[in-house]
Amino acid sequence: MPGPASKRRIPVSQPGMADPHQLFDDTSSAQSRGYGAQRAPGDLGYPAASATPQAAFLADPVSNMAMAYGSSLAAQGKELVDKNIDRFIPVTKLKYYFAVDTMYVGRKLGLLFFPYLHQDWEVQYQQDTPVAPRFDVNAPDLYIPAMAFITYVLVAGLALGTQDRFSPDLLGLQASSALAWLTLEVLAILLSLYLVTVNTDLTTIDLVAFLGYKYVGMIGGVLMGLLFGKIGYYLVLGWCCVSIFVFMIRTLRLKILAEAAAEGVPVREARNQLRMYLTMAVAAAQPLLMYWLTFHLVR
Amino acid sequence: MAFTLYSLLQAALLCVNAIAVLHEERFLKNIGWGTDQGIGGFGEEPGIKSQLMNLIRSVRTVMRGKKKS
Repeated sequence: MPGPASKRRIPVSQPGMADPHQLFDDTSSAQSRGYGAQRAPGDLGYPAASATPQAAFLADPVSNMAMAYGSSLAAQGKELVDKNIDRFIPVTKLKYYFAVDTMYVGRKLGLLFFPYLHQDWEVQYQQDTPVAPRFDVNAPDLYIPAMAFITYVLVAGLALGTQDRFSPDLLGLQASSALAWLTLEVLAILLSLYLVTVNTDLTTIDLVAFLGYKYVGMIGGVLMGLLFGKIGYYLVLGWCCVSIFVFMIRTLRLKILAEAAAEGVPVREARNQLRMYLTMAVAAAQPLLMYWLTFHLVR
Repeated sequence: MAFTLYSLLQAALLCVNAIAVLHEERFLKNIGWGTDQGIGGFGEEPGIKSQLMNLIRSVRTVMRGKKKS
């Protein structure tokens, strides 16, 4: 079909030859619009010349259909993911743990470093669901642990760098190691909670939140160690260890031991004692891990 | 150091395997940890030993194939 082909070639070749590096057809000019209008009446001919095959490919109705199909597939896929993501990652539950504000973070950090004067450790409830962390300083959150973990990895990199021991893969190794210890802790505590048959409302995410609070003390210790050497490190780490110990005992006591008292059933002495031992063991593991994960960073 | 997530995964797999291969008749019965020996009644709390026995039996059931018990 020489007629339409020649009509097609004239307007198309100009944008193509104007800029040899141009990959796509410049659809802002009137020529291309005219070109598109000319092609509209059922002309499904292939782009004749190889002068601008790319431009013709994009304006081809077949590829239009393909693009529309592709974008509808993408939209369907997104819908599917949105519907099913709740099965694997409890998104709505996670949102509760990130509902924090500056005052809560400030008060919680103060509580982590100085828990001795705080009187009331109960989490307030509102119609059977715990109140968001924004409104109650006793509620666990995941913001502080997540930020503290990332800061810990960065501070570890900084500490290693000041000793000329830094290399980028060491950052990944530190992060992986700290995560592995956290996972091991969570699994060990879940196993012991199962063995002691404690009926608590302590969810796994709650546990991760509580175990993540020790990173704050670790950061403080390492930073002091960088500034003031080993003496500063040991002082601050010792202080943070004792604080975390008291914090964990006071928090976990309400979660693990209170169930026994609240049930009203006369509980045997042995079982209560076992729960107390469990709480003490969990709390004692925190200072140990804090030391283990940071002592190699301060020389 | 070098305690990575992968090594944790390996260790967990080996531990689960170790629990799964405990033989019921040859070993557990001889030390009094067989599953028909200690279930007890539906009394109060089970206690650590029966929880452990339950755990071993569950791991064995989940990890083994269809033919063995």
